[in-house]
Amino acid sequence: MTFPTLPLMVATVFGGFLFPFLIWLLWGKLVENFGPFGGWMAALFIVGTTWTINHGVGLITQSGGAWVDMGLAAGVGLLVASTVSGGKFGKAVPNILAAIVGGVLGGLILSFFL
Amino acid sequence: MKFIRGVLGYMIAGMIVMSVWGPFASLESLGIIGGWLAAFAIIGPMWFMNHFLGLIHHEEGSSFVDMGLGIALVGIFRDVFLFEGVATFMAAVPTMLLVSLGAALGGFTAAKVSADMAKGGKA
Repeated sequence: MTFPTLPLMVATVFGGFLFPFLIWLLWGKLVENFGPFGGWMAALFIVGTTWTINHGVGLITQSGGAWVDMGLAAGVGLLVASTVSGGKFGKAVPNILAAIVGGVLGGLILSFFL
Repeated sequence: MKFIRGVLGYMIAGMIVMSVWGPFASLESLGIIGGWLAAFAIIGPMWFMNHFLGLIHHEEGSSFVDMGLGIALVGIFRDVFLFEGVATFMAAVPTMLLVSLGAALGGFTAAKVSADMAKGGKA
């Protein structure tokens, strides 16, 4: 366990806050302005730069065991943002199940060779 | 079919991130700038396939489930299968909860902020 301190916990919460916040505000606008290439720009400038702070320099502290990727923040945060903005959570349940099935299968196959 | 498309989309994005990103960012290759570039090389095409072309289907009016969820789950289950199963999972729960708490706050705040920005006025 590497969560002995409140400051590290606050930093980890903020790491989770940052990623979906930036995606929600910027990604759609980049695609609107630049077409699909805007998505590549978003990949580099939102995901790349946020990865650098969250995982590269470690804003998100890993408590140990399995690696927790900031993608979790994108999943949870955008689900909340889109629901708050009028999306129906119930209709997203099949996608959540698909992500769980895909996650278990993908993790299993990776464990065969890594 | 749509469910299988979703499984494939979340799984493939997760598998590539959780096997390729690390080597891109390792010190033997480029270090931290390699991790930055990995985002372009991996998230670019995966986003294009999953969310622009729409391999991952969302029902009309549905909330959005980003491929990031699949990526995170592949990472977690990769380590669960590689290491000590349930114990490996449980050790990561504090991080999962804190990151999810921040994400919920961030998503909620972003929705409120962007709605307010859309009201217009001077930038």
